[in-house]
Amino acid sequence: MTEAPWQLVHPPALSDDELLHAVALSAYFGHLNRIADAVAVPLDYAVEHEPPHAEPSVPPLAIAPAPITTTARLSLAARPATAAQLAVWTAYALERDTPLLSRDRRARIVRRVERLVGTREAEELPCVDELDADLRALTDRVTLAPWQLDGATYAPLRARGFDDAAIFDACVVATTAGVVARIDVALAALARQVPLLSS
Amino acid sequence: MSLLTIIGYEASTGELRETYDRMLQRPLPPAYRPPHGGPAGIIQAHSLDPVLIPKVFATSSTLNGAGPLSWPEREVVNAISSRLDQCFY
Repeated sequence: MTEAPWQLVHPPALSDDELLHAVALSAYFGHLNRIADAVAVPLDYAVEHEPPHAEPSVPPLAIAPAPITTTARLSLAARPATAAQLAVWTAYALERDTPLLSRDRRARIVRRVERLVGTREAEELPCVDELDADLRALTDRVTLAPWQLDGATYAPLRARGFDDAAIFDACVVATTAGVVARIDVALAALARQVPLLSS
Repeated sequence: MSLLTIIGYEASTGELRETYDRMLQRPLPPAYRPPHGGPAGIIQAHSLDPVLIPKVFATSSTLNGAGPLSWPEREVVNAISSRLDQCFY
């Protein structure tokens, strides 16, 4: 799920419901990981085993080699509470206009994430302007190598007037799109292994 | 030092303070409550957008606070996701 959701296979020991839970949970935790890195929040828990420090030299996650076009057999609708809350979250993060991030800008970030993660329908779009290119660079880093986020990553957007809140907002668009895309891609990938019955 | 602003509980006002207070009232296992007694760091990491916080963590409640995976199994998924994302959280 984390490294290559398009390669997900159904572990024999998991039921459909358990697998759907794991898929959604892993995708959700990807958001928390990326926000923790985007902000560089300090560890505030007392832990027995210190977690390893992030190593910036670790290469980025792979880009999906091709869109997944199969129809998913499992659906997040089987977890209605999760689906409903995720819908509220995505509507807020992806479908509003702010002075620096219009709906169209947000949609372009979403499309880029879908391209990186391998959602069907996602085609490569050319950048429309320099801000679009800067947002795409941020999106790529957030999606594929959040452990490499640093001050230099944000510098181009700061130069365009983005303050901390606006940069955070742009990161959230990418992380939110990532949650949805990873779930969609993983569920579609699973369907490739179970032939659908013809009607 | 953080990369983006983190507004802690003491510095919070208005909608953010109200959101923090609501988050602190959520039923949580003691293991999830940080020793400083305030909102968990991952919640504070969202402090630049108080409106977003309840939306994100309401989703969490449906995943980290529900089955069919058991609590230990959920922690395995979370920990491995974090490790592969090179994230300590």
